[in-house]
Amino acid sequence: MATEGTTPQAEVMSIASPINLILLSLFVVLLYWHFRPKPAVVLPRGPAPVVFRTYTPKTLLEFNGEGDRPVFLAVRGRVFDVTPGKNFYGPGGPYENFAGRDASRGLAHQSFDEEMLTKDLSAPLDDLKDLDADQLENLQSWEERFSEKYLVVGKLVAEGDPEAPAS
Amino acid sequence: MADQSSILQQIDAALDGLVADWNIYTTIFAGIIAAFVVYSVSSSQDPDVHPFLLARQSTGSPIRQKGESATYRSLETPHGFPLRLGLNVKDTGAPKWTAGRRGDLRDIWKAALRGSLNPDGTVAGEQGKIYTVLGKQAIEHSLSQVTQELNVIGRHLQKSEVKTVAICLTDSVELLTAIFAGAFYGFKTIIVPHNLPAETLSAHLQHAQADALIAEAGSLDLSLVTKENKQLSLVLWVAKYGNRHMDWHEVPEGVKGDLNVSVWHELVEEQKDLTSLTVPEYDPNTPPPGLSTVWPSSSQAGEFIDFQSDNLVSAIAALNSALPRTQRFSPSDLVLSIDSLARSYPLLQVMNALFCNASVALNSVAGEKVDFALATMGVSPTVIIASSRTMSDYHDRVMKPHTGPISSLGRWVQSRTLEAGNMPSKNIFSQLARIGPTAELSLDKLRLLCISHRADGDASARLSSEQLTDLRVYTGARVVYALTGPGIAGAIAQTNVFDYRCLTGPSHFGSPLSSIEVTLTGMSEANVSDSIPEGQIAVSGPAVVSSKTTLSSRGRISNDNTLELSS
Repeated sequence: MATEGTTPQAEVMSIASPINLILLSLFVVLLYWHFRPKPAVVLPRGPAPVVFRTYTPKTLLEFNGEGDRPVFLAVRGRVFDVTPGKNFYGPGGPYENFAGRDASRGLAHQSFDEEMLTKDLSAPLDDLKDLDADQLENLQSWEERFSEKYLVVGKLVAEGDPEAPAS
Repeated sequence: MADQSSILQQIDAALDGLVADWNIYTTIFAGIIAAFVVYSVSSSQDPDVHPFLLARQSTGSPIRQKGESATYRSLETPHGFPLRLGLNVKDTGAPKWTAGRRGDLRDIWKAALRGSLNPDGTVAGEQGKIYTVLGKQAIEHSLSQVTQELNVIGRHLQKSEVKTVAICLTDSVELLTAIFAGAFYGFKTIIVPHNLPAETLSAHLQHAQADALIAEAGSLDLSLVTKENKQLSLVLWVAKYGNRHMDWHEVPEGVKGDLNVSVWHELVEEQKDLTSLTVPEYDPNTPPPGLSTVWPSSSQAGEFIDFQSDNLVSAIAALNSALPRTQRFSPSDLVLSIDSLARSYPLLQVMNALFCNASVALNSVAGEKVDFALATMGVSPTVIIASSRTMSDYHDRVMKPHTGPISSLGRWVQSRTLEAGNMPSKNIFSQLARIGPTAELSLDKLRLLCISHRADGDASARLSSEQLTDLRVYTGARVVYALTGPGIAGAIAQTNVFDYRCLTGPSHFGSPLSSIEVTLTGMSEANVSDSIPEGQIAVSGPAVVSSKTTLSSRGRISNDNTLELSS
């Protein structure tokens, strides 16, 4: 009995008992968790900016929304990217005739017909001189709406204009 | 069933055995762990600003021109909205819902005289003060006293029909008074740095066609200046306190008669009783004349920058709004400028302080390269405006060599708090950190350090991220670090006051201010698609003279959309 009484006593006071080791390792884990290097917060970069381009009626034509292509339309020399409104301006939409074209006259006349477009793509841009006040106001309000909703991604110049990019 | 219960019994026995080993050491360990958990939970707090706001600090435009980067703007003024135009001054009696005016320098002085506002917009009327720091003592000036001087000097100059006044003074209350007198009494002011040789000063006066000169008595040889400046018709000496008894009316030979020489304090003495303590009435719709400063360029002559009133107010408003609401200048602040008021960043920050009804302290030794400890001795400021040259010199010369092992330990603990996004509070570790590096400073109340760097300045003066962290830890103040450029009032970009991240290399300059937008130009299309665009810094907006300028320095927009100088 006497031997039994002394030996456990020595064991009990040992610092290296299993429970102490468990607590010690728990402490080390906590320490690491507290002081671990934390990665810096990084947000993904947004989409790359679109380059402002100068279009002619011929180069604008391909942006009619067919396939995966974006939908552009021009109003008074400014090219708007109307891809977010593809249901309206893209293929199959009510305004599909305007996709990839100069839509100024059509918008002024509130008409989506084919004859509103300039047929000859090499001709000078429609100068809209024959519009009356109501139609100009119409056009103005369309333009304002576009500027609010869509991005201006370029400008439209006639074929052969000094500003036109060499093809 | 029997099998399961035997497993449970075994576990029970094992746990029993484990707990049976419980002893005094175990109790100590358990105590330490509990204390650590309590500390770690109680000390954790939300960062001062959401990390996402630091991860993308400005917005790029969705469209860019060929050979240029996107245009970057402050988050305060997104694309499609106007940039910050002015102070949004609301006149008393104007309907509540009307938009405020852009304002001008006169509105700033009027706001300073009006005194502080209560949160509900009513006038509390607590005025700030202006202090002149001379060595260890500070002289206090009340605003009404300064207004009186402003009226005397303004009338004197108006009576003499001068149009352009060159001011060549050390930072002092007289310099500020002369600037505001120009705004109220309709003459253009040109701030010429005060330590120039007489030939350069003479050339500056010639270039600006200044017809009046305000300078420190005895600081320059008048005969040399008047010989080359026939248009000069009036000289106003500002005598220091020590030599006011002397006669400063002497006029050099040959120019007698057509040169009107007078002394500031004598004029004020004579006419004090004749002028009122309020500013003259003015028509807010006619802008006051502009203000010119000299941008020190590599050539001796320097470059004249003619700021219009609209440039100045737009920059002042942007400097104010660049600080979050809780960090803005307030009536309880004392703003000390140890950078020369001849430079637009310190000047406009001081104007901003006056507009916010804070007190202002001006130091006659202020300049781009001053001794930080000596210059901050006379007063106990809450905000200090300094140049990057001053701060980097002080860091290299004093802070770094005096950082011993104890300070390093304190710094390490404090910088961990900073990394977590919190400003460390004053505690035992902050005391430890400051034992060596800032022992000679007495900046107990300091809360904000505004440091500006010239875009074309010496690259060795550029502060690194590490140095900014040191400054935060050792001074216990938040830091904003701004980039200035010729032709741009205030600053181009300024770091977020809550951005404590310690990155590698030279520090970035944060996002563009809300008064301007930044585009990088002159990029070759091959490199444009790189994730980090780099090119010449082009700045445009209402704070820019002639609304657009391109700097000679190149910069880049890094991943967090902050502006960096490329070395």
